[in-house]
Amino acid sequence: MSTVMKIENIEANIGDKKILKGLNLELEPGKVHAIMGPNGAGKSTLSKTIVGHYDVEVTGGDITYKGKSIVDMEPEERALEGIFLSFQHPVEIPGVNNAYFLRTALNAKRKHEGKEELNAAEFLREMKKHLEMLGMKSDMISRSLNEGFSGGEKKRNEILQMLILEPEVIILDEIDSGLDIDALRQVSEGINKMKDGKRTFLVITHYSRILDYIEPDYIHVLKDGKVIKTAGPELVPYLEEHGYDGIKED
Amino acid sequence: MNLITLKNKNTQEVSQLLDTKDRNTLVEKFTSLGLPHKMTEEYHYFDVEKLLDTEYKTLEYVPKSIQEDDKIIIVDGVVTSAPKGLRVYLEVCENIDMEHFDSLYYLGHLLSPRVIKIDVDGDAHVEILHKYTRSNALINYRVEITNQANRHVTMYENFETDEITNTLVLYGYDMHIAQDSTLRMVRLQTMNENRYSMITSHRVDVAKNASVVLKNFDFGGDQALQLLKVELGEYAHVDAGHLLYLNEDSKRGTASQIIHKGEHSTSKQIAKNILDGQARGIFDALIRVEHSAKFTKAEQDSKSILLHEKAYMASKPQLEIYIDELEASHGATTGQLDEKQLFYLQSRGISRIEARKMLVIAFANTLIETVKDTRHQERIKNAFEEVFYASHKG
Repeated sequence: MSTVMKIENIEANIGDKKILKGLNLELEPGKVHAIMGPNGAGKSTLSKTIVGHYDVEVTGGDITYKGKSIVDMEPEERALEGIFLSFQHPVEIPGVNNAYFLRTALNAKRKHEGKEELNAAEFLREMKKHLEMLGMKSDMISRSLNEGFSGGEKKRNEILQMLILEPEVIILDEIDSGLDIDALRQVSEGINKMKDGKRTFLVITHYSRILDYIEPDYIHVLKDGKVIKTAGPELVPYLEEHGYDGIKED
Repeated sequence: MNLITLKNKNTQEVSQLLDTKDRNTLVEKFTSLGLPHKMTEEYHYFDVEKLLDTEYKTLEYVPKSIQEDDKIIIVDGVVTSAPKGLRVYLEVCENIDMEHFDSLYYLGHLLSPRVIKIDVDGDAHVEILHKYTRSNALINYRVEITNQANRHVTMYENFETDEITNTLVLYGYDMHIAQDSTLRMVRLQTMNENRYSMITSHRVDVAKNASVVLKNFDFGGDQALQLLKVELGEYAHVDAGHLLYLNEDSKRGTASQIIHKGEHSTSKQIAKNILDGQARGIFDALIRVEHSAKFTKAEQDSKSILLHEKAYMASKPQLEIYIDELEASHGATTGQLDEKQLFYLQSRGISRIEARKMLVIAFANTLIETVKDTRHQERIKNAFEEVFYASHKG
């Protein structure tokens, strides 16, 4: 199997607590990998470790992306290389205009890729089509970033950023939390639009509901800081019936 | 003139030194409060003695014929231009606050027996431009503003200087906000290091049902202190906002007293402070609710961001309350930029340096955007970004 990202024996702490305990995972290009597991298994820590969150201290192992180690890279460098995290709880930033933020982020990426930066008019044209598809009101881009947004609006805004930045590895951390059925369908539509056989998805979820909308290729069960089982989508109904305790380690 | 010569002098001595005639009550007020020094509460965080203990040239304030212009222009304390139809003239101030907390308020009136009076008739937008052209000088003047009942006035106050050094500006307003009227004053001042220093001492009385909005945008270096006293009548309202961005080793800020005298009066005072370099910011603000001011609502908040380990913010919000029937809140926070917000921006490919700039500008914008006129809002945003980016190149 070719891999776009390889996580080898990674160990990571948050504060004094060891959360990831020699975790191994390989992401195949163009595939949807779902990470499932009970509360406290280390799912969110895994996503934070990949994107270089300041809470996480990597104490062992390595993460390579396209053959290059990323554990010592700054978060913005990882983002510019094409790694994207859709946050479970996106922060509100009063005073930062959403459109300005999105254009700054896009132009940082374009600059990194040696492309010309987009002006405001070009950017707005680019964004309009995505807004419609996500069912977002156009005034959301003129408001402050995530300020006063409902849970659903925040998640849509995360997907809007994903559509604009066109990353290669997309980590969706509990993307379905706080979404009603309509919002979940629209968000899933945005995600599925990005499935082009080249981009790789890491869907982190506690419940299987999101997997009705985003069909996974692999299920990885995470428990106590390690991946204990990797299987195909047929594992989902088994998990629903038997729970995580019924899983035997590979 | 060296103002420190007035230190510890009695009424007679001050009268002789300032050559005042028939103004004994004012001289007594000044001497009873005394020349400010480092232990004076409102000046505690401000190096006032150094500014006062300097030999300044005194200026002759010779009135000029006022040219027609779209704004009021005051050059070194003398009005040179004013819009047609606006009454701007020199006159003895008959309505001096005899309970002001600041001795320099009285010194200002003693040094300027005649004040620049601006009577605003009807609804109006007025711009005042203060220009300073003289080095090593004491520039002293006072301005009295009155408006009409049930009218709405917006004033924009701006500052320009030539290449001057070592000048001290003492000025201030006496504002009388008439019943049922509104006055909005938006003040933008960008100072550069070692040009001039400024102490402003204002007094604002807000009549029944009237409202005053005071937005102060203070950017850059050098030393400046704004002393503000606001008195609120029945159902009167004040909305005071102060945005400070200081760099280098400047010391600037506001010492204020908002006094609720009338029932149902309301006040909102918000300070946002961004401190860089070795700057020291000052927000020493008292809200006093008197016995007569039942059903008052008072809100006061100061938020500060320190961008450098040597920057310092002296934030001292205070409430002094003499009644039970009121709603009041106050608070002050000082800290660094929010790490969660920084990380969020970085996770989208924005460099940490750029992310820090975005968050600082965002912090400032939350106050700048309370200026309703979008043209002036943009002007203030640009002024802030210019000063901020100048000290954060790269």
